[in-house]
Order: sequence, then structure tokens, then C-alpha cells
Amino acid sequence: MSLSTLTKPWEAMSYGFLDGSAKRELRRKMLKSVAVPGCQMPYASREVPMARGWGTGGLQVSLTLVNPQTRVKVIDQGADDSVNAASIRRFIARVAGTPTTMDTLEADLIQSRHRIPEEVLRDDQVLVLQVPNPEPLRPVQPNMSIARQMHADADYGRMWLQLYEQIVRSGRVMQGASYPSLVHGRHVMTPSPIPRWDVPKLHMAKHLTILSAGREKRIFAVPPYTRVEPLVFSDVPYKVEDHGNLTCTRSGTTGFFMNEIPQDDSSSAFEVSDSEWGVKTIRAREGEGESRGETWYKDGEMPQ
Amino acid sequence: MAYVATRGGERAIEQSERLFREDMGPFDRKRVDEVKQGLPYLIDRVMGEASLYDEDLAALALAQTGGELYEAVLLLRAWRTTQPRLQVAAPIEQDSLFTHRRISAAFKDIPGGQVLGPTLDYAHRILATDVLQGETYSPEPVEPAANPSPAYQPSVSAWQAENDLLDPPADDPTKGNEIPDLTREPLLFPAKRAHTLQSLARAETGGVLALGYAAMRGYGQAHPTVNELRLAEAEIAVTHPDGRQFSAGRVKVSQAEVVDKKGEKLGIGYAATFGWNEVKCIAAATLDLNSPGAEKGSATEEEFFLYHTEGVESSGFCIHFKLPHYVTFQSSLDAMRDAKAKKAAGAAKQQEPAE
Amino acid sequence: MLSVPAPSPAEMRDNAAFDALLWSLSRPGRPRDLPEPGESGIITALLDRECLVYADDPLLMPQIMRTGATLSDIEKADHVFLGAMGTSDPLADIAIGTDFYPDDGATVIIRAKIGSGPALRLTGPGVDGILTLHMGGLPEGFWKARTARLRYPMGFDLFFVDGARVVGIPRSTTVEEA
Repeated sequence: MSLSTLTKPWEAMSYGFLDGSAKRELRRKMLKSVAVPGCQMPYASREVPMARGWGTGGLQVSLTLVNPQTRVKVIDQGADDSVNAASIRRFIARVAGTPTTMDTLEADLIQSRHRIPEEVLRDDQVLVLQVPNPEPLRPVQPNMSIARQMHADADYGRMWLQLYEQIVRSGRVMQGASYPSLVHGRHVMTPSPIPRWDVPKLHMAKHLTILSAGREKRIFAVPPYTRVEPLVFSDVPYKVEDHGNLTCTRSGTTGFFMNEIPQDDSSSAFEVSDSEWGVKTIRAREGEGESRGETWYKDGEMPQ
Repeated sequence: MAYVATRGGERAIEQSERLFREDMGPFDRKRVDEVKQGLPYLIDRVMGEASLYDEDLAALALAQTGGELYEAVLLLRAWRTTQPRLQVAAPIEQDSLFTHRRISAAFKDIPGGQVLGPTLDYAHRILATDVLQGETYSPEPVEPAANPSPAYQPSVSAWQAENDLLDPPADDPTKGNEIPDLTREPLLFPAKRAHTLQSLARAETGGVLALGYAAMRGYGQAHPTVNELRLAEAEIAVTHPDGRQFSAGRVKVSQAEVVDKKGEKLGIGYAATFGWNEVKCIAAATLDLNSPGAEKGSATEEEFFLYHTEGVESSGFCIHFKLPHYVTFQSSLDAMRDAKAKKAAGAAKQQEPAE
Repeated sequence: MLSVPAPSPAEMRDNAAFDALLWSLSRPGRPRDLPEPGESGIITALLDRECLVYADDPLLMPQIMRTGATLSDIEKADHVFLGAMGTSDPLADIAIGTDFYPDDGATVIIRAKIGSGPALRLTGPGVDGILTLHMGGLPEGFWKARTARLRYPMGFDLFFVDGARVVGIPRSTTVEEA
């Protein structure tokens, strides 16, 4: 045996940047995260050429899954042209030669920060959500070792208490995004900082969702057809953002999650957050044909 | 196509990077060499935090990032992570370190002697402004001692263990690939000893200092005495597949042992890192000394200080707050407005006169 | 500007093998095709020197060894290759992880006949309602032995290989013999 048998021919960069051992670690832990939906699996998160907190967890999952045929869509706050989405998309294409798309329906893999697209995802698509903080218990227990014990014991009493206190104090649950949700009736999970509007899209979905926190080194998943139930009291129903009646001033679309744009006259205008949905709506309006797919929300409501 | 017109994202990020790089202008191997030669302690610090020992690469990372330290370390970590792992070097004992500087605050003299070595400890910190007037700063030549101090020295804690003043750590027979590697498995708590030491070795100097200093000021239970501080070079011994051991070269390392009385014995804290970085080693060893039995959530608890001194993670997360958060912000606004409306509706109801 | 690195054939095979594994574990009971028959794609896609592996099938040993993985007792192994099983006894010893770290539960690869044999009713995450799967070539009492070991979220996760076809059954799946 010689030293050269221990390694492989030198190359400037592995396909997809990550080396084989990084990909195998991701693969092993992705399988475990699918096997126990909503349970945070620790993994040996690698450093990638992007700063921690900028989507390095999602990026490692995407880089492990892609091949030169995988069509990739990357969004941040719902938009394909957000600067960090552009940066991640450019990086994946540069190191893995993947075709890219902005059309949700065309994508094989969607990496997203803070949103789930408005069009229904199919069972041949994978959604990768970037996660800043994987621990839903952190607001009530910052210590990770204790929080892990609480998950092991399915001890979510303090979580419930916190929600109850908010209702007593403010008349409602004050959680904005990252609404804690019970997965497969066992593990409380943060759905990542998606708005409450998007959480029902995970419940019994057809697609696989993988959530990955690179900095915190935790990966978890929601397989297709898996129960994802926001923590609510039976007499205080879950409430998504009150956006069902808002209309996008640019595209004219109504009934989807919006960005609020403050105006000089101290009023607000709204723009649809899913930028590609806005583009498709404009195209349809301008007679360029209908390219919009089925949406989760119908007339601003999520059908039960 | 009103929407598409706003798609300036790709161009904007490219131009912003160009603006940053324009400041430094073009650079070549010469600048890298100058950085390496002129800033060895910065190189050491960067190599330690990157946990990658290569002076040329460290100098290149500094040149390429204009000295943005967090960026330089990230650049090296990202490069390191893709490199194949051919070998795990043989363990190094303290008495096999080629020692340049070794001091103990615990005893006036120690077996092997106090070796002051290179330091600015006793320099008067006066800025050499003459250089700006065109003068050349020429350091006085070193006068070799009549009796050079021995290059290899035992550790002070070995003497203390022999004298039953402290219990040395149990022998750890783990070797080679069996040694837990922080970059190949996640850090979990209670942390494996190897993970703790590796994590401290690559911790961010300023972060370790801040938490170590907090412990020194009284937020820790133990007050450190520097048992031994050492700047040295370590031989990297690896095994050829044919079984022969050979040296792959020497690397600069620094290490600190700090002690405090713990009942009838001394408790010991330890840290070591690539490169010569005394502040980091003393602060890290202080955290290690304070860690056993530390209260959960305190600055000297292992989970607390290991997580929060990880420079690539902490700096990355800090700057990520620059990213747009308008979806989460919108979600919060919605909850706030709704709560406010509920309160107003409740107040209005109370004010209605009874029928 | 670096040129786009091209994937090697081995890289493409591992990528395709994992795609089949992830897809099939996410949809318990629904077969998917591996890039080539047998366990070899699974071995190279998942195993390396970080792994402790137990294999009942001596023919798989050389390939497992080449990945750098360490051979281990079945109780400690994170990946268990049982080949064509004669008895369901090995299930009693497979690692199921802990409450703290359910991920320490093993990944188990078994040869079976997919699409023929006794009917199984599957429910749980990844299954749209109820799915009926026929699977043969497993020893007597296999599913009872599996159920006896599961302490959700502790448990082990199964892949059944039949030629190039693979079926995944994670610990979250409830399996009833019809």
C-alpha cells in the first residue's frame, strides 16, 4: 500500500463543494430525521464558503441532494431575487452545475429562508428550509442539554404555559413566525421562521421537507403525509396572519401572504411575498398565458 | 413586467463584492509573503482559530480579506473542511515539545528552569513613531546565554503529581482515528474531553478572553494560578502505510496549565492551540479549570462557553441579522395589531352603558 | 473563476442510491429503484470511517471494509446488514438509540421479496392513509420481533432490498400483518 491509495486524484473542488465524508454524514442524518419526524438530529455540520447563519445548514442539504439534472430554486422572504437567495443560487449552480429556476412548479429542489411557496408542492419535490434556531424550547429553556431532556420526556408543559400566559396577558398567542408545532403527535418542532400562514402547508403535505440548522448542527424533517399541528388550546383556535383580504399593489393578486410597504402618507401598501407568484399573475394579466399552479390557499383561506 | 424590473439582486451582490475588493487592489504572492513575515502572531492566531496549520494559507486568507479576521478564519475553515484526511498524527507529550518559552507563576524556580523566551511582557509600550519619519526600526540583536536552557522540559504538573499535590488526568489510551473529532461529529453535552479541548483550541481569542476574564474577575469559582505557560514547537509524527514513522514537520503550539486548590489537592485546567497565543491559552485553561460543577447557564459552564466562543458561528450569526427579516417582522406586527385591536374592543365593551 | 466540477460516476451512483433511500424511507412501503442491484450502492452512499458496521453476509465484507468503516458487534453497530435472514433473532440485538439520542438507532438493510408474500398494512408518517404491501423472504415472527423492540422515538429503520428495488420502513411506521 502507498500513500496515494489512501486518497483520490487531486481536484480543485469536489462536485457540489462538499467532500464525500460530509455528504455521507448528511445522508445518514437525513435518513434519521425522516425516521423520527420533527426530532432534531445532531450532525457534523461542515463549514462552507458562506457565513454561519446565512443558510449553511440548508446549503449542505441541497449540495448533498443535487446532481447536474436537479433544477434548483432558492428564495429568501419569498423572493428569488433577494440578495442572499441570489448568492446561494449562484453558489449551487457554480459548484454543482445545476440548472436553476424561479418557477416553483419547475423546481426539483427548493431551498428557502422564512417562506413556503404559495403553490402546492408535489411529491417529487423536496423543500429545504434554512433554520436559524432549531430548538422550539429555547425561549423557555436556553440550555440545550436540559431542552434535550425535555424532548426525551415529551415534557412540553412550560411551552404550553408560555402560550397560556400570552393569551391571559394579550388575549391571543403572541408568537409571530416560528410557531411551535407538534409533529406526528410526539415532537414539538419549530417550523423555522416561516409565518403562521405557512405552517398548515406542512400538515399532511405531499412533499418532503428537510429543515437544517448549520450553525446549531441540527437537522430535522417532515416527511409527506405527516401530522404537523400548531400548539393551540381547543378554545383558542390557530390564527394565521390576517392577510387573506389584502391585495398586491403590483400584481393585483389577492389572498396570499403580503409584504407591508410603508407609504409617505403614513398608510401601507402591500406586495405579494411569493415574488414568482406575483410575476406569474402579472404575466397572466398581460395576456402571456396562465402559468400559475394550484395554491394551498383558496380565496385567502386554507381549506381544512 | 413590473416585478422583474426589481430583480437587481445578482448584480447588486456582485458589485458590492467588487467595492470591497477595490480597496485592497490587486495583490500577488509578494503581499502574502509580507503578511506572513511581518505579522507572525496574527498568522498564529488565525491558524489557531481556523484549526489549520499553514502559514502561507493563513497569510493568503488575511491578504484576500484585507485582514477582516472573521472572514479570514471562515475562508480557511471552509477550505479545510474539504481536504482529505490521510493520517492522524501520533500524540505529543509535553516533555517532547521543543520549548522556546516556559514560565511558571506557581514556583520561583521549577525543574528545567524558567525560560523567559520571546515576549513583549516587559517591553515599554511606546509607539515607534520614528518609523513614520523615515527611520528604520532595527531591533537590538539577541545575545545568546552562556548556558542555553534545555530544549525539552518536563511539565510542572508532572512534578506536582509526583508530590501528590494533584491527581493527573487518567491515561487516555485512545489513538488515531478513535480520537473523537469535533469536525467529524457534532458537539454534544456533557462534551467528550477531546471535543472540549479541540473546541477551545479553535475558539475565537476575544470570546475566550471575555468569558475567561469574567471567570477571573469572580464570576467563576476558581482563581487561576499559571502553573505553566509554554510556547513551543511540536513534531508531527505520522506513519507511512509501510509502517515507518516519519516527521511531517514541526508546528508552533502554545499551551497553558492553570491550577487552583480544590480541597486538599490542586484542580487543573488545560488548554493548547496551534500557534503562539498566550492570552487565549490562559483564558481557555481558566474556563476549563472552572468548568467542573459549574452552574447551568453560567459563563463557566461548558455548554455556555464552548458554544459562545466559536468564532465562525458567533460572528456569522451576528452578521446574519443584516439579512432581511421582513416576513418574521410582518408576522409579529400582525400579532401585535390583533392583540391591540382585541384590547380596544374589550375596553369599548366595558364603557358601554348598562341597559 | 473556477470551472464547474463534474461528478464522477461513483459520485452519481451514490447520489442516485441516496435519492432512492431518502425517497423510499419518506414513503414507507413504496418501492424505488437503486442505481444497481444489491447493497453496494447503499454501502458506498452511507458508510465511511465514522461508521460501526455489522454484516451477516460475508460477501459484503470486502466492500464494507473498503469504505474505512469499523466492523462491530451488532449491539453497537449503526449500520446492520443482515442479508437474507434465516431467523428473526438478530432483531433482538440491534441498537435502538436512547431517549436523548434516537438517532443512535441503527439503519438495517435486509434482503427480501418485494411484491410477493404475506400482506402488510402500513400506517404512519409518509403513508397516505393505509398502504398494503406484500413482502416475502422474511423469517417467521419478523414483524412481531420488530414491534417488540420499538419504543418510539427509539427504534431502528429498515431497508428491504430485492434486486435493484428498495423499500424503506422507518421506526415511525406501524406494520400490521393482514
